[in-house]
Amino acid sequence: MLKPSLNDLINSSFKSILKNKGRTALTSLGIIIGVTSVILLTSIGNGLQIYINQQFESLGSNTVFVAPGKIFNDKGGFNNNESGRFISTSFTQDDVTALKRSIKNTTIVPVTISQVEVKSNKITKNDVTIVGSTYQYAASANYLPSSGNGRTFNKEEEDKKANVIVLGHTLAKDLFPSGSALGKKVIVKGKTMKVIGVLDKKGGSFGGPDVDQYGFAPIGIIFDFVGNQKINQMLIKTQDKTDVPQTKIDITKVLLKKYDKDAFTVFDSSQLLSSINAIIGTLTIALSGIAAISLVVGGIGIMNIMLVTVTERTREIGLRKAIGAYPRAILIQFLIEAIILSSIGGVVGILLGALGTWGISQFFPAQITVGSISIAFGVSFAVGVIFGVAPARKASMLSPIEALRYE
Amino acid sequence: MTKLLSKNAKNRTPVLELKNIVKTYTLGTTTFNALDSVSFAIYPGEFVSITGPSGSGKSTLMHIIGLLDNPTSGQILLEGQDISHFKEEALAKTRNITLGFVFQQFNLLAKTSATENVALPLLYSDVPKNDRNKLALEMLTKVGLADKAPNTPAQLSGGQQQRVAIARALVNNPIIILADEPTGNLDSKSGAEIIKLFHHLHEDEGRTIVLVTHDMDLAKQAQRIIIIRDGKISSK
Repeated sequence: MLKPSLNDLINSSFKSILKNKGRTALTSLGIIIGVTSVILLTSIGNGLQIYINQQFESLGSNTVFVAPGKIFNDKGGFNNNESGRFISTSFTQDDVTALKRSIKNTTIVPVTISQVEVKSNKITKNDVTIVGSTYQYAASANYLPSSGNGRTFNKEEEDKKANVIVLGHTLAKDLFPSGSALGKKVIVKGKTMKVIGVLDKKGGSFGGPDVDQYGFAPIGIIFDFVGNQKINQMLIKTQDKTDVPQTKIDITKVLLKKYDKDAFTVFDSSQLLSSINAIIGTLTIALSGIAAISLVVGGIGIMNIMLVTVTERTREIGLRKAIGAYPRAILIQFLIEAIILSSIGGVVGILLGALGTWGISQFFPAQITVGSISIAFGVSFAVGVIFGVAPARKASMLSPIEALRYE
Repeated sequence: MTKLLSKNAKNRTPVLELKNIVKTYTLGTTTFNALDSVSFAIYPGEFVSITGPSGSGKSTLMHIIGLLDNPTSGQILLEGQDISHFKEEALAKTRNITLGFVFQQFNLLAKTSATENVALPLLYSDVPKNDRNKLALEMLTKVGLADKAPNTPAQLSGGQQQRVAIARALVNNPIIILADEPTGNLDSKSGAEIIKLFHHLHEDEGRTIVLVTHDMDLAKQAQRIIIIRDGKISSK
């Protein structure tokens, strides 16, 4: 049986560590910093992933997108350098008609985008993005004004090319700084249009398109603005998400008759989502890996202090051996001290990381993961074992005679 | 000798017996015998001092008696059992059960209470946790320091620290107390008190005490003096 018991050893290690509180705090600092940064970075990565997933869920999982160019590479990531990346194919009304004819039970929504000047009675804004689409677009893309904020255009208005517009939250605020934009008139590229709806704040997504700055109008009006009938992308809503794979195949078949395979991409939100998740995941691991370097540095700090401690306490080790401590008891005692030092660092780091995550989550999506907590604790424990062994071995191998004679 | 070791004369079985102990050190190409065929026995209840000038092999002998070092050749019998072949772990266990050390430098753990210092050897023994502090307090009472139980070494005088160390040497109820220059770091008054304490332990409790010192006057305080010179026993 192990003498002293593990319990006794942990007890006496704690006592030794607490005799030097200042040193303990400084020694653990390296691990604290390492663990805190690993926790924070994984929390941010995780929060980002959750946020993006939520955004995609609001789009609906039964939506198929058709966009120009080759968006994904063959491995499922985003296409960065393969051919087709920058092809800006545009689709036509004929494509929409062809798709409508061959694919049943779906809603096909063409989207075209133009950047134009928009004026209210006082303010002029240049290069405002106006999304032109059919009346089904707002429902498909989840851009419906909430009650009290007007409505989106209907089929009749779309067919008549009525001069109506729905404004994004920020755009409405910019054009009409005082009072509601609803019911007011705006002049879009010389054409007077009535504001029939204002969207709630959607929030920009990290430098990506900020729909709060957009306007939404019937597609025919945009065709008139740009002087052609080019369609930039298409949304295809299926009845059910189980129809998505077959619909994608059918769409591809139709489009391949006219376009090269690299000239367009048919994808659904899960595909886009998994690509984005893969990127965030890789980024999180890479950043956490860099942060983990500080854990190694912290571990070396612990080893350094433990070596100093062993030298300082040479006489104590000699005494313990003289009165009956066998080498393994000394080894375990000093190993436990190193593990306690690094675990204290781990626990404090986890607490600081949790606190920091809470702070960040006030203005940026961040969410702590149980996985990162257990990994952080496991790693700091392992750091204690790895960097504690050498000093502990040194202590256990001291000759009691030499150790007692040490000045 | 065989007669002395016979089972019928139990009370005369030496607690410790050295037989032809040789300890050889090698320095480069030259070897020299720090101990050259040393034999003697210590009997239960004896107060023996080992003395000799520096370099005589006194320290080497003390390390071998203290089971801290293995002899190059020869036999060590502890209560009749040959322990010469014991390995490190078995020696540690034997030290824990049979020996009580008192050092010149006291060797108390700093920032640690007198009670915890006294209880330290019990950490490595089979004594249950609950009994350790009780035993330690008993020993502190025995050396007259019951009121200093919670004090750390820094709060104690040199003489008091050495008495705590003696309490620590007693706590495992050893068969031999081995004291190495126990008064070397003390003023003469405190030193005299420590020697008085040893006499008390010897006379009133029948403890076996081995006192190692270079000081002939101190050595004379013991019942019997073993003088070592050039690695050999010159008088016992």
